[in-house]
Amino acid sequence: MKRSLILMVVLMTVIVISSFATVTIVMTAGAVGAELQVLQTQIKEFMQQNPGIKVVLMPMPNSTTDRYNLDVTYLSAQMPEPDVLFLDTIDPPAFADFLVNLKPYYTDQELAQFFQGAINNDTYNGRLVAIPWFVDAGILYYRADLLQKYGFQPPTTWDQLIQEAQVISQKEKIQGFVWQGAAYEGLTCDFMEYVHSYGGNILDENGKVVSDTPQVKTALQTMYDMIYKYKISPVGVTTYQEEDARHIFQNGDAVFMRNWPYCWPLLQATDSAVRGKVGVEVLPEGTGFPGVHHSATLGGWELAINKYSEHIPEAVKLIKFLTSPQQEAYKAINAGQAPSVLSVFSDPAVIQAVPLFKSLYNVFMNAEPRPKSPVYSQMSQIIYDNVNAALTKQETVDQAIVNMTSQLKQLLGQ
Amino acid sequence: MSKTRSDPLHKSDPVYALMFIIPSIVVIAIIAFWPLAQTFYNSLYNSALMFPQNKTFAGLSNYIKLWQDPRFVNDLWNTVRFTGWSVGIETILGILVALMLNKKFKLRGLVRAAVLVPWAIPTVVSSEMWRWMYNDNYGVINSILMSLHIIKQPIVFLAFPSTAMPSIISVDVWKTTPFMVLLILAGLQMIPDELYEAARIDGANAWQRFWSVTLPMIRPTIGIALIFRSLDAMRVFDIVYIMTKGAANTETLSVYNQWTLFTRGFITPYFGYGSAMSVMIFLIIGVLAIFYVRMMKIRLD
Repeated sequence: MKRSLILMVVLMTVIVISSFATVTIVMTAGAVGAELQVLQTQIKEFMQQNPGIKVVLMPMPNSTTDRYNLDVTYLSAQMPEPDVLFLDTIDPPAFADFLVNLKPYYTDQELAQFFQGAINNDTYNGRLVAIPWFVDAGILYYRADLLQKYGFQPPTTWDQLIQEAQVISQKEKIQGFVWQGAAYEGLTCDFMEYVHSYGGNILDENGKVVSDTPQVKTALQTMYDMIYKYKISPVGVTTYQEEDARHIFQNGDAVFMRNWPYCWPLLQATDSAVRGKVGVEVLPEGTGFPGVHHSATLGGWELAINKYSEHIPEAVKLIKFLTSPQQEAYKAINAGQAPSVLSVFSDPAVIQAVPLFKSLYNVFMNAEPRPKSPVYSQMSQIIYDNVNAALTKQETVDQAIVNMTSQLKQLLGQ
Repeated sequence: MSKTRSDPLHKSDPVYALMFIIPSIVVIAIIAFWPLAQTFYNSLYNSALMFPQNKTFAGLSNYIKLWQDPRFVNDLWNTVRFTGWSVGIETILGILVALMLNKKFKLRGLVRAAVLVPWAIPTVVSSEMWRWMYNDNYGVINSILMSLHIIKQPIVFLAFPSTAMPSIISVDVWKTTPFMVLLILAGLQMIPDELYEAARIDGANAWQRFWSVTLPMIRPTIGIALIFRSLDAMRVFDIVYIMTKGAANTETLSVYNQWTLFTRGFITPYFGYGSAMSVMIFLIIGVLAIFYVRMMKIRLD
């Protein structure tokens, strides 16, 4: 009796002391599928290597808008937790004032390992406010079996895509091309790809609004014509997000799809109707303007540290661990997410697991960021609201361009 | 009033009453009045959540700006449209279904429970479910209409203003009619049988019995149900946010308000404007509630 009492006292003391000695870091994280499982395994390894640090994961909602809203709540309340934030590529400028400048914690050599487009994206007013964790880019998925059947090559221009989609979709009685046309962030990503591919832009290098050029108008007109003139995209595309498009493509009901790389492992899964029949390619380019090129919108997720965190050095340690080449390779193999560290793309184990990364290396490297601005989410809403209004015939293409331009100018005070 | 003065239990009634009431008053003050006062205070300033130090006094100008904002006025109209249609249809359907369920028939208990199912499903889940049912490729609604040869091309319900709002209203009707049924059924069960008996003896037919006995007797219940539902509908957020995110001219006041407070008010000095909008929604709903209470002659005491 006495012995067990002493034992208990000792045990309690150990627990109390050890709980004082460990530092707890709270980290926001994705909530679903392979992504969360992989992270849990990585965190376990990190805690074994660093017995003094305990990491608690805080799963976040799926949609980027909902995550943004939650981050606004945490940061504006000036809470010390979560310590490590998981941010969308578009978020660093808006949150910059609430984030720790990570430049002092990194040598130039260390930073040179990362994909430079993403590092630039995370640098705002000369401060490095986030570290790229994985990158994303819009790509074209196509039905290799159907293209072969009708003797077509993967399209390199939008006109070619339209022509191939028309022929195949009429003969096969399926949809030609599915993408993201609902009024939300994804539509801005898609629209920017058309705009860039025709050599246009929304803001020029000096941040001036240039969204009323013929290039931008042609971009929107092309999207509109795909639905109403060439009828290769269903009218319903104006309500689709990523998953709606993927469901149709994965069921074998579409020839082409614009989506992110996350679809690849799902399309190749055993329950997929298009397993082994899918190819990927860089998105087509525009025609008729100087400066037309293949474009992919840069996406991805970043890791950042809350300025009010009480454990900044430990949080830096965690970020460095998660973005180390070994961990990035592990994540790429097991969650299918493209690494932000360049050397991982040539890791044989990674290429074997996800062959996509080799063929798409250049697409990732040349992916173009969306306009960089602290008011980006408001800009994006102006863009996707007007584009969606044109695609659902609430405004004409010309009206949509005029409205978009004047609203953007008003927002940016130009 | 027959109590004697020496009765120690009743002498201190007011003291006891106060003691019992104070906790609930404190709770209401903390969870309702304080946030409201805070919101009103915020609405008098122009500030961004991110830069609380750069606060400038705006007075009531945010309230004036609201009425000059075409998006606010348009969304108010959308919200009124949504409320009018959904609450109207729900009330009529609610009365009909409640009258049916008030009759005695086999398995009545089971049917009454089954009617409640749509109401028991969380709105997020039912909105997501209906979004799929409205889908143009795989949606069950298009599939039925196509197989019955009513339409040749699938209808993209949620893409166009002409169909998006009616689709959203239908989901709300499906979801909250059970609530109406429940309240009205409770009202129906309070009507004493003697009244119907007397009406029958006086020679009233079924229609007359409904107009002269049933309806006047359940009017207070309908009034309460209308207040609950209208107030709920005026601040509708979840169905719209999930089904269209406000596209196709379906944006309601709450959806706009959420966007103004979070996306816009975080960085740009619109947090006060968003707060003014919240207060305005509160006032509009308050006026509506007073209007109902007056019109229905509901006694709140």
